[in-house]
Amino acid sequence: MEQQILTLVTFFPVIGVALLLLVPRERADTIKAVSLIVSFVTFLFSLLMYVMFDPVANGMQFEINIPWIAAFGIHYHLGIDGISLLLIMLTTILSVIAILSSWTAIKTGVKGYYISMLLLETGMLGVFVSLDLFLFYVFWEAMLVPMYFLIGVWGGPRRIYAAIKFVLFTMFGSLLMLVALLYLFFLYHGYAGEYSFDLLKIYEMPIPLGAQTYMFLAFALAFAIKVPVWPFHTWLPDAHVEAPTAGSVILAGVLLKMGTYGFLRVCLPVFPEATIQFVPLISILALIGIVYGALVAMVQRDVKSLVAFSSVSHLGFVMLGMMALNVQGMEGSVIQMINHGISTGALFLIVGMIYERRHTRLIADFGGLAKSMPVFSTFFMIVALSSIGLPLTNGFVGEFLILLGTFKANSTYAIIAASGVILAACYMLWMLQRVIFGKLTKPENEKLVDLNIRERLVLIPLIVLIFWIGIYPKPFFIRMEPAVKAILSMVHKVDRADVERKEGIHVAQPTCVGTTCTISGGGAGCGK
Amino acid sequence: MDIRSAAIDLGLISPEIIILASAMVVLLLGTVLKSRGLMAFLSLLGLVVGLVLVLQQWSQPQSGYYGMVLKDNFSVFFSVVFIMTAIITLLMARDYLIAKHIDRHEFYTLLMFSTVGMMLMAGSTDLVVIFLGLEIMSVPLYVMAGMNKIDPKSNESGIKYFMIGAFASSFLVFGIALLYGASGTTDLRRIMADFSFLKMQSELLLYSGALLVMTGFAFKVAAVPFHMWVPDVYEGAPTPVTGFFSVGPKAAGFAALLRICVYGFSGMAELTAVFWLLAVLTMVVGNVLAIFQNNIKRMLAYSSIAHAGYILVALTAGGEGAVSSAVYYLLAYMFFNLGGFTIVTIIDSRTGSNSQIDEIKGLAGRHPYLASLLALFMFALAGFPPTAGFMGKFYIFSEAVRNGFVWLTVIAVMNSLVSVFYYLRVVVAAFFGKPDQEFSPVSFSPALFIALLVTAVGTLALGCFPGYWLELSQMSMFPII
Amino acid sequence: MEHFNTFFPIFFLFVFAAILAGVFLLLSVLFGRKTKTAAKGDPYESGMKPIGTTRERFPVRFYLVAILFIIFDIEVVFLYPWAVIYDKLGMFGFMEMLVFVVILLVGYFYVLGKGALKWD
Repeated sequence: MEQQILTLVTFFPVIGVALLLLVPRERADTIKAVSLIVSFVTFLFSLLMYVMFDPVANGMQFEINIPWIAAFGIHYHLGIDGISLLLIMLTTILSVIAILSSWTAIKTGVKGYYISMLLLETGMLGVFVSLDLFLFYVFWEAMLVPMYFLIGVWGGPRRIYAAIKFVLFTMFGSLLMLVALLYLFFLYHGYAGEYSFDLLKIYEMPIPLGAQTYMFLAFALAFAIKVPVWPFHTWLPDAHVEAPTAGSVILAGVLLKMGTYGFLRVCLPVFPEATIQFVPLISILALIGIVYGALVAMVQRDVKSLVAFSSVSHLGFVMLGMMALNVQGMEGSVIQMINHGISTGALFLIVGMIYERRHTRLIADFGGLAKSMPVFSTFFMIVALSSIGLPLTNGFVGEFLILLGTFKANSTYAIIAASGVILAACYMLWMLQRVIFGKLTKPENEKLVDLNIRERLVLIPLIVLIFWIGIYPKPFFIRMEPAVKAILSMVHKVDRADVERKEGIHVAQPTCVGTTCTISGGGAGCGK
Repeated sequence: MDIRSAAIDLGLISPEIIILASAMVVLLLGTVLKSRGLMAFLSLLGLVVGLVLVLQQWSQPQSGYYGMVLKDNFSVFFSVVFIMTAIITLLMARDYLIAKHIDRHEFYTLLMFSTVGMMLMAGSTDLVVIFLGLEIMSVPLYVMAGMNKIDPKSNESGIKYFMIGAFASSFLVFGIALLYGASGTTDLRRIMADFSFLKMQSELLLYSGALLVMTGFAFKVAAVPFHMWVPDVYEGAPTPVTGFFSVGPKAAGFAALLRICVYGFSGMAELTAVFWLLAVLTMVVGNVLAIFQNNIKRMLAYSSIAHAGYILVALTAGGEGAVSSAVYYLLAYMFFNLGGFTIVTIIDSRTGSNSQIDEIKGLAGRHPYLASLLALFMFALAGFPPTAGFMGKFYIFSEAVRNGFVWLTVIAVMNSLVSVFYYLRVVVAAFFGKPDQEFSPVSFSPALFIALLVTAVGTLALGCFPGYWLELSQMSMFPII
Repeated sequence: MEHFNTFFPIFFLFVFAAILAGVFLLLSVLFGRKTKTAAKGDPYESGMKPIGTTRERFPVRFYLVAILFIIFDIEVVFLYPWAVIYDKLGMFGFMEMLVFVVILLVGYFYVLGKGALKWD
């Protein structure tokens, strides 16, 4: 079980696909039920994995490593640490929610839609569990296909343009990544005398700085397009606006995290010197993204594109925190990945719900919804506030840690980034004011039906998570801490203990000696 | 490698003999009997028996006919590819031929003659036999291109292919003559053995001969700038024949090129630069021009040019690994390209079709599984994992990077990106397009079903579980000294 | 240079032939008598008066028979050298030629079966 759990979680949706193929396409209800059950069972498996996961252990867990393609030394090597664990949980939860949310929204091609959804889930999970770079690449690319169909078949009016743009942008980066991957592969062969794509082995290889720079650029480009870091973000608003609601949820919730996860898993540990060299560049791009995304979001007339641009801004925070290269920044960055998945996912769901009722997303068409749809407005309010980062919600924890980490690394960056928080409050609150407050001016809005049971069920888990992370984030931090420190120790080329001494320990951290575990209190950060 | 050698050994060429014999039987019976289905079945039987016989020769390198015929794993591997191509073509052709009223038994005969020619090309290290094989392959192809007599485009296709084919052959023959003049032999093994001496003795003749031979084959595999004939010929020829063109002769041309350039001329380091240029031109021109095509056959024609470019990347890289990567790619290419052509053939069999991409609109609504398969083949052509197309490209690119051609690889992957655009156009039409009128349904026959099954399974198997096939392709390398 | 020496006589022959032909043409242009009559401008048809258009269509059978004749004719040419050294080749040569002739016959019967040799 230890070994098979990752395979089970990753490929269970494919079993669902096989089941769906047996169901005739006229029986839409059966198809929906099957895919919901399959995604829910996947979630249960991932929950089991969460329970089995040893929060304080170092290194990868549930590792499985069997040869796949002997000629290239490619292994089917899976394994997770705290960071991937959290992202997997996010993926499985959002998949259930996405499938539940498209219950009534999707009317044509139901079978193909749910098949695409389940395939997409496998692709995303595969990226998070792979420890073999070849496998990683295969999942990374394979995931494009179902997303392409989700946008292209069930999307809005400009769906074809958006779908092709999405694929071409992503492929541009990933193909260059493929070349760098091959270069790395032969470099490793020269170093160790064996062919391997194994990430854990590649971590141990010293790479000359010149080669590091080129390869870092290739990998970083692929990941930056996915994140998206400004100026590679232009595919994002198109894809979001045209995608169906569930597609947007998955896109914002999980797909973008694949880019930031790629940075954490590949770029930083494999190319440490190059990373440090490029910290200013990427930080500045992230800052531009934060401010630019917020400013553009402010002038959007469409709620959905407002949320899309706010993603650019939020992902800028994630990148900035990561590039601080200290424990606080990176932990904030990881938790912010989860937060963004929850909050923005919920925002897209809410936009989708109102779109299903009114078939418009223009801010000007709404106003005073709090009167006709009080439950809806409450949910909207909570989610929007968490997106802004109000204390007690998840957004606050993430942004605070990121700003803290950034401040330690470079105070100027932190000051600029803080302005992004203010701007976020501006566009989000202004939008709320125009959509749910004020007078009911449009007669169409008066008769709107409030959320039904299914829609509430979709949103409630997310609201719970928003408050859970906002109030008691410790379970998450405990799990990600060993992973974050491992990455930092690889970046700074020092022992793990040194990272702890250098960065200080800010969260109560359990340490295990032999069989007894003790909790050591947060030590004072001694700064740089 | 211990090669058993004999002067005359009918067992050595038994697959060729069987296929030739069944071709002649079909030719004669067809004039007497009316049943075309029986002819198709007999041809299929002959090809399958040939395939079985070829497989028996695996891992037993033999040479015969005074060194003129060489059955090593390389030639066996390629023979399998050729016979498989012929079988799949035969399976997909039947319904199309009936629909277009050109169901003639000569088609099957010509198909088999051509296959035998290809097998000879791959199964020899002697330039004269290679040339002989080339002609045996080409002449039936000229006729097949012009099979649809009442269609002016098919006539144009046949004539153009004939002209260009004759032109290319003359380059080849001249090159072989010059090589003979330089070395006094047409046996590549002897040319390779004496290479350094020959280079000193008559460098000019040797190099001009090599370049002319390369030019001849560049026409056959449709490398830019010798590609002008491809779109017209592919568009005009009956669709299954086009499918056969895009795989069979191309693979045969590459088999010969690999033998000649990587094996015979392994001492000519200068050829690398020529291949580099050919590869880049072929990829760029093929991919860029494919974007502008509205006819799916023309689009696939340019795409086949682009794929020749990827294989030329392997040739540029050189070395044993490159040979096996090219071999692997051709096997993979056979599956997904023929799969794509099978679906185009099915759609083209409807009356009034002239193979525009727009005609595919609405396919997904009417035939979701067929559309999914079309998408599978298009994604494989574009090189998405986990299909055979990705593994093939991955193998070739890895060989290029191994040999230090990083920038060539970057150019190649960028071309791959361009290709995504036009392959997706087909998928877009099939899935997203709203048809102008109701999509008239296509008909299925068991033969088509088998063809689709084989190609789809092959495409996925070579992509998901490539280990075994990679080993096979690595065993198919010939020794390079 | 070595090749050049060997092939110089042939090269000389080419050049000499070209010069000679050119000189004769030039002489006839310079010294020939030029008369222009209507009859001279007509297409030459064995001295007869031309009848009808030159772009007349022949029945395709003529071409078919001509092509078939050429094909079989050329194949049969192979029999001559074989016959000359028949004794030296022995049984092996006989079998080889038998195979060759059988293949030729397959072609012949195909042509016969298609009715390509029927005139009406």
